Amino acid sequence: MKATKWVPWIAFTLALAGAGAALVPPGTVRGLDVDAFARLPVLEGGRIKPLDSVARNSLLMIRGQQSFSQQGRRVGADEWLLDVLFRPEVADAQPVFVVDDPEVLGLLGMRQTSERYFAFATLAPHLAEVERQAAAAREINDKQRTRFQGAILNLYDRVVLYDRLQNTVQLTGGQDLPADQRQERFEALAAFRPLPPMAGQPADAYRSVGGAIRSGATGAAMAPLMLSASSWSAQDGAGFNDAVAELAAAHPASAVHKAANEQLFNRAQPFYLGMILYLLALLVLFVSWIWKPAVLQPTAFALLVAGSLVHTVGLVARIVLQGRPPVTNLYSSAVFVGWSAVILGIILERMYRRGFGTAVAAASGFVSLIVAHHLSGDGDTMEMMRAVLDSNIWLATHVVTISIGYSGTFLAGAIAIGYTLRRHIASRQDPATSKALVSMTYGVICFALFFSFVGTVLGGIWADQSWGRFWGWDPKENGALLIVLWNATILHARLGGYVRERGVMAMAIFGNVITSLSWFGVNMLGVGLHSYGFMEGAFWALAGFIASQLVLVALCLLPPRFWQRRTGQDLPHGSIASPP
Amino acid sequence: MSIRTISARLWSAVTSLKLTIACLVLLMVLVVACTLAQVRLGTLGAVDAYIRSLLVVWKVPGTAFSIPVFPGGALVGLVLAVNLVAAQVNHYQLGWHKAGLWVVHAGLILLLAGEFVTGLFQVEMQLPIEQGQTLDFIESRRDVELALVDTTNPANDDVYGIPESLLASRQPIAIPGTGIAIRVHSFLRNVELLRSGPGAPPSQATAGVGAEVSVRELSPATGDDQSDVRAALVEPSTAGHSYGVWLVSTGLAAPQSFVHEGRTYALSMRPARQYLPYSLTLKKFSHDVYAGTDIPKNFSSLVHVSDASRAQERDVLISMNQPLRYAGKAFYQASFGKGDTLSVLQVIDNPGWLLPYISCLLVGAGLVLHFALSLGRSLRRHSAALEA
Repeated sequence: MKATKWVPWIAFTLALAGAGAALVPPGTVRGLDVDAFARLPVLEGGRIKPLDSVARNSLLMIRGQQSFSQQGRRVGADEWLLDVLFRPEVADAQPVFVVDDPEVLGLLGMRQTSERYFAFATLAPHLAEVERQAAAAREINDKQRTRFQGAILNLYDRVVLYDRLQNTVQLTGGQDLPADQRQERFEALAAFRPLPPMAGQPADAYRSVGGAIRSGATGAAMAPLMLSASSWSAQDGAGFNDAVAELAAAHPASAVHKAANEQLFNRAQPFYLGMILYLLALLVLFVSWIWKPAVLQPTAFALLVAGSLVHTVGLVARIVLQGRPPVTNLYSSAVFVGWSAVILGIILERMYRRGFGTAVAAASGFVSLIVAHHLSGDGDTMEMMRAVLDSNIWLATHVVTISIGYSGTFLAGAIAIGYTLRRHIASRQDPATSKALVSMTYGVICFALFFSFVGTVLGGIWADQSWGRFWGWDPKENGALLIVLWNATILHARLGGYVRERGVMAMAIFGNVITSLSWFGVNMLGVGLHSYGFMEGAFWALAGFIASQLVLVALCLLPPRFWQRRTGQDLPHGSIASPP
Repeated sequence: MSIRTISARLWSAVTSLKLTIACLVLLMVLVVACTLAQVRLGTLGAVDAYIRSLLVVWKVPGTAFSIPVFPGGALVGLVLAVNLVAAQVNHYQLGWHKAGLWVVHAGLILLLAGEFVTGLFQVEMQLPIEQGQTLDFIESRRDVELALVDTTNPANDDVYGIPESLLASRQPIAIPGTGIAIRVHSFLRNVELLRSGPGAPPSQATAGVGAEVSVRELSPATGDDQSDVRAALVEPSTAGHSYGVWLVSTGLAAPQSFVHEGRTYALSMRPARQYLPYSLTLKKFSHDVYAGTDIPKNFSSLVHVSDASRAQERDVLISMNQPLRYAGKAFYQASFGKGDTLSVLQVIDNPGWLLPYISCLLVGAGLVLHFALSLGRSLRRHSAALEA
């Protein structure tokens, strides 16, 4: 068999095998089965999830990462949570609080050094001051807060989360309070509910330890939970593992099953793996433009397909775990927009076979999964849907179509960027490829117009159903309308012959600006009914993206005499090849 | 230049694609401006200023002048609609191959028409109703009325509602059948009411609680979550006899009444009411949350509809995404209060509510038709190429 056949297949198989390796469970920690403990179901944020999800999301919120290294050893989120719950003295010494803001550091009496992570014990002497400053900052409208006020509130919220975690199974303070007040405090502080419902209660009637003690009915899970606490504290492997097994047996089988699946999903990190595979595909494709294109270009495509498979599996797993259509919040919209752009790109690659579909698909998949990664720091990405959004029909129709519309517009923009860069960089101009790119862009814009229009109108119908008016000029609705209007403008300008090749491409790149503003920018205004995804920190990232797109529009519009112009004959034949 | 050439030029301008593109771009600018202005003006204010206006005006600071600076959404929408219709007539030949695009553009015209109908005719009211309460009226969210209610008979009240526009005109208002006329001394759009004291002089009211209340005028509220407190000084009188000057305001809860010819009249300013030929009773309001959280899962109101004229006696559950459409009005779950015993329903009367649905169907069908026809053509070309 020729190298052009087997190299792509080997790359594809290796990529999938690497992804599969992520599913292998980790070993025990000092003989204690941390993994089995992390698999236990608890109720948090209104849904049943494994402790693993609580651990990962909490550590992500507090430290910004899902693990950290201490004394040369990697401490995972599950092990960290066990220490927080059962060995507070160990957890308090672990450097998990990330503090970047120089003014907050100043308040803590520290100077900005390379050390950004601090232990709870280090913060403890300053907590009264942090609380005082945070209370003052909370009085101020969130849009008018200074950076310091935002940062101090953020630190305070993380300290509160840490404190609540520590007080979920064992109450650490309040010894001087009367018993009933202590129990009340204990119930109120619980960060999650670890005890399964009593017989005959609904499946989500999980109970907190404090609540169970107050009600007097502790149930079968209380004793093994306390045993696992004491044996973790004593680092008694056999005792801990037995207690955890007994604890698991006290939970309803359906909850155990659901939690185990979600833990597997957490461990697999399909979107992270997909991101890596897209990046690999992109790198291989870049290399293919200067070296062995016949082998490397199909290899890049194979890696792209492997990445898209992992991405698809992750998407489907989320749908199954959550029992919801794919897009439920800003995070999942990024995952889905990336996914549909990749699928579109793969189709384009099959149609045109110029490596361009691979390039834009891998780039869009990579970028959107990075965006999703940065949107996941707010905590649980599978949070429950607020009342008006609790409608699978509309989530499945309006939200999915509008997201496909976004991805189409972005993909058209990505192809146009590729066209522009190629014009300026590629060594040999090749009108056939340019023509193919223009026709790809045109087709994708038609596709995007269709989906964004249908999605926008469906959104109007949903609004009519829930708020009583079809169109309310809400910022998010306006954003969607802008995408429709812009795509319609491009098509009509092309129809009238007012813009040609470069014009269409420049307009397609500007579509990226409009889509990113409509997707993220309107959330920054902080008005309107779609305020489900407000974010402060992303402002500069968005501004940077828009600036880069405007530069690309300008590059695209530069007259041809500024473009790279060399003819193929000047160079040794085949040494530098543009995408065939 | 002859009339013929002028009209030919005009026609070609009206039907031109350049006009379409100009309108699309202008609309985009307006939509961006309207979105940004919402931070400052609130949704309704921004929509009125940029979208539901023929011209966007700029108030010259420090003067009373306003200069139109940009075409408004209504004007651009109108031009776009004319352009769409004219272009269909002019450019597109009748024939099957363009049939899909015909249907798509017809749907778009209907969508624009729907927004015009909504802008002109839609009435948004609300129905705040407590558990166990039966009401046969809905209230305006913005407009107020001066209510003069004859409460003499405990079994039923005679209500005289005087609309805001009449109050603002400050003309003497005769109340039919009572011999009472009401003179409006002043009408203020937004005020703050304070207990009078040092530095807060009492209002000019001579009767009722208004004599002890100080009125401070404010600029009208703009944000979506703020509302105005209206106030007026009114003087009910009969020929030759005055019942005093009364302060009425939506910010005053205290009942005020006077006696005229042995009948008691209560005087109040309240949200403008529209009485319904049927009544609604709130049997139960539910506010469900997800277990162990404050995250709302659902809001619903179990309402009993009682309508003798339509022979309707039935219960309806109104919940999120599940409105009640009844007698031309739609009742939506909008808000709640008073420890989950008060439900606020939004009541919309929009004669054009079906237009977007029809338009959506037309555009969808048109696109499918267009794609099917294009596909058919390319398949025929393909098979012709194979035969050749």
